[in-house]
Amino acid sequence: MTLFHEIYSLYFRIVTHILDRVEITDAQLQEIIQKEGYKDSVLFLPQKLIPQKDGSDWMLLRRTDQGTLRSILGHKPQRTVTKLQKRWLKTKLSDPRMRLFLDDETYASLRQHLSDVPPLWKDGLYCYFDQFSDGDDYCMESYRKAFCIILNACKNRSVLNITFISNKGERKQICGIPLSIEYSRKNDKFRTYFRCIDNGKLRSTIIVNLGRILTAEPLDSHTHSTIQMQNVFAARQCRKPVTVLVTQERNALERFMMEFAAYKKRTEFDPETGICTVQLWYDLTDETELLIRLLSFGPVLEITAPSHFRALAAERIRKQYALLHGE
Amino acid sequence: MAGFSELIKNFEKTRDYVRDFFLYGFKVRSDFSRKSARTYDDERRRVESWLGDYLHYEDSARGRQAAITVDSGHITENPLYQAYYARSFTHNDIRLHFLLPDLLADGKARSLHEITDTLSTEYGCVFDEQTVRGKLKEYVEEGILASEKHGNTMFYLYCGEDIRDLIAEYDGLADALRFFSEDDECGVIGNSMLHSADIRNNFFYHKHNFIVHTLEDETLLGLAEAVNEGKRVIILAKRAKNRSAAAENETGTEHEVVPLRILVSVQTGRRYLAAYIPAQNRFHTFRLDSLRLLRMGSKEPNYNHIAMRLSLCMHKCFGVSFGSRKTNGTVQPVSLTIHADPKSEAYIIQRLEREKRIGQLQQIEPDLWKITIDAYDPHEVMQWAKSFIGRIVSVTGGTEQIRAMFYADIDRMHKMYGGAENDVVS
Repeated sequence: MTLFHEIYSLYFRIVTHILDRVEITDAQLQEIIQKEGYKDSVLFLPQKLIPQKDGSDWMLLRRTDQGTLRSILGHKPQRTVTKLQKRWLKTKLSDPRMRLFLDDETYASLRQHLSDVPPLWKDGLYCYFDQFSDGDDYCMESYRKAFCIILNACKNRSVLNITFISNKGERKQICGIPLSIEYSRKNDKFRTYFRCIDNGKLRSTIIVNLGRILTAEPLDSHTHSTIQMQNVFAARQCRKPVTVLVTQERNALERFMMEFAAYKKRTEFDPETGICTVQLWYDLTDETELLIRLLSFGPVLEITAPSHFRALAAERIRKQYALLHGE
Repeated sequence: MAGFSELIKNFEKTRDYVRDFFLYGFKVRSDFSRKSARTYDDERRRVESWLGDYLHYEDSARGRQAAITVDSGHITENPLYQAYYARSFTHNDIRLHFLLPDLLADGKARSLHEITDTLSTEYGCVFDEQTVRGKLKEYVEEGILASEKHGNTMFYLYCGEDIRDLIAEYDGLADALRFFSEDDECGVIGNSMLHSADIRNNFFYHKHNFIVHTLEDETLLGLAEAVNEGKRVIILAKRAKNRSAAAENETGTEHEVVPLRILVSVQTGRRYLAAYIPAQNRFHTFRLDSLRLLRMGSKEPNYNHIAMRLSLCMHKCFGVSFGSRKTNGTVQPVSLTIHADPKSEAYIIQRLEREKRIGQLQQIEPDLWKITIDAYDPHEVMQWAKSFIGRIVSVTGGTEQIRAMFYADIDRMHKMYGGAENDVVS
């Protein structure tokens, strides 16, 4: 049982889609490959699917008298859930977050359905030792209810009225649509990107922690607005990236590249100095988080730009120096 | 480029290239000297074919750099999963994949002989019995077919369940798959289920998302199996500087270990196998990305006892280090005193509370907070401690070396950022 198996491969999936059509033209076949395949798949796949005189094709399609291609199968292809997939699903049933998606009855029923399937690993195999300890309580009934309402509204683009406790501890009420749901393994929390609606007009997008939501009430209205999350992310992104010089001292380069792997970045290495210049693009609301993470590397990296960001680092270091040296 | 294929047979080789393109992004062709330039060209072209726009090129003074550029928090599907979906196969593999379930779709059990005959008579496809037997056996193992013995003859039948039926039957399962398919615990398996059902994730995002972890999923499955069965494994642990595809050679040390847990740092992205090394009578952690699972070993008779001992040890680990101790030893408590006004800077106190792990937090003055961490390796505390730069009043305990390094680091940073100045470096 392996994950790296051709039964999960893209080529097999494409062929499934083609055989699903029962009868297909050459042009349609090419179109499917073009749309679903890798960049170069169109160079390799058609000749394996379209019958060849030398018999070098896979013989899964036959040419009809009308010139179309017809599947040799008697049925549409099966899309079988493999043992590996079932075992993975069984493993996930032990994850408390699974209860956010399945109601009690469905959960029990699926668990029963998979009762003979061993999980891929036992609870406790993974230990997230530096995960924040104030994560969301996924078993809390009110949390599960709010999650379900947010998720449904997110899918249907329906309008909600929510009340929540803000970062400053104030109770707030807003109307709008949840655009997406974000999970952070580090924080162990869910948040929603929530587009506010005021007087019937779409306003700014705010981020609300699901754990702070007190009530979520669906309203009888929908929006047909097509808000792209990529536009929302772009609006929140810094204009100028942070530039950092990373040395190789204390294995800093390797540590840095892994720790900041989640960021969009641009890198250039100077073999003569052994210094790598890295530009990182970040969400403006995460500026402080980025700053403290960079400072935690100590003197093995230096923030060089933009000026306001470097000034923030310098200010903290000056304070620290004064605390230690009494200046 | 005759003979080029988008598909791969060896995942290990490709994973190292994908990792280098993604993590570093500054390496040029000549950096990949371990294999031939032709190998580099093929691997790069393949990755470009799989990932399309995610692969960027940039011309630097050293040559052309290839980099996989992804803002991991802003994607709904991990592009690196593609490496798993590019497994090569033979003509027989793909033909039998579609023909066998089709032939057995009526649920009737058939013998190998009947199946091979029907493939020829009904489908016009002639296979030798050995090929068909091999595939039937493989598909029984994968859970697609079932086998039952009648007398001396093995019969095969289709026992599969269609993913679309499963999703239709369990309300909410599709959303669960959407979410968990991007999870870093073998999420690629969930992603394969989504694709199989023609479903896409279009509204779940993962912040602090280390998508590169997926490249270790195959290794993880092997380790999990060993843990389930309480077995030892034989691993090759590469040294840190040889972790990448660009490294000169693949030297490493072979160990026979008892695998116990997977330790994940959600902040640094590093993942480790926590294991017991019987030959050295000690616990040790190995970076997952520099580990190769060579083979399964024998059953470990004391597995449960060893696992319990690790659990006890973990209470004294701030990170993943057991220090220089063997099975017994002493902890070296380190204390940090942090300045925070409980009224205006309550968020700092919240940070200390939620991030302290095994530490003990106490308020020692109205605006001073002392956190004491009894850890085998106090050195591990210091990177986290430096995330409080600007507030650290003192560092006590631990070792003389870590205290001296902390003070020296602050002095160096003070000079680096210009002391009282904070001019931008041009």
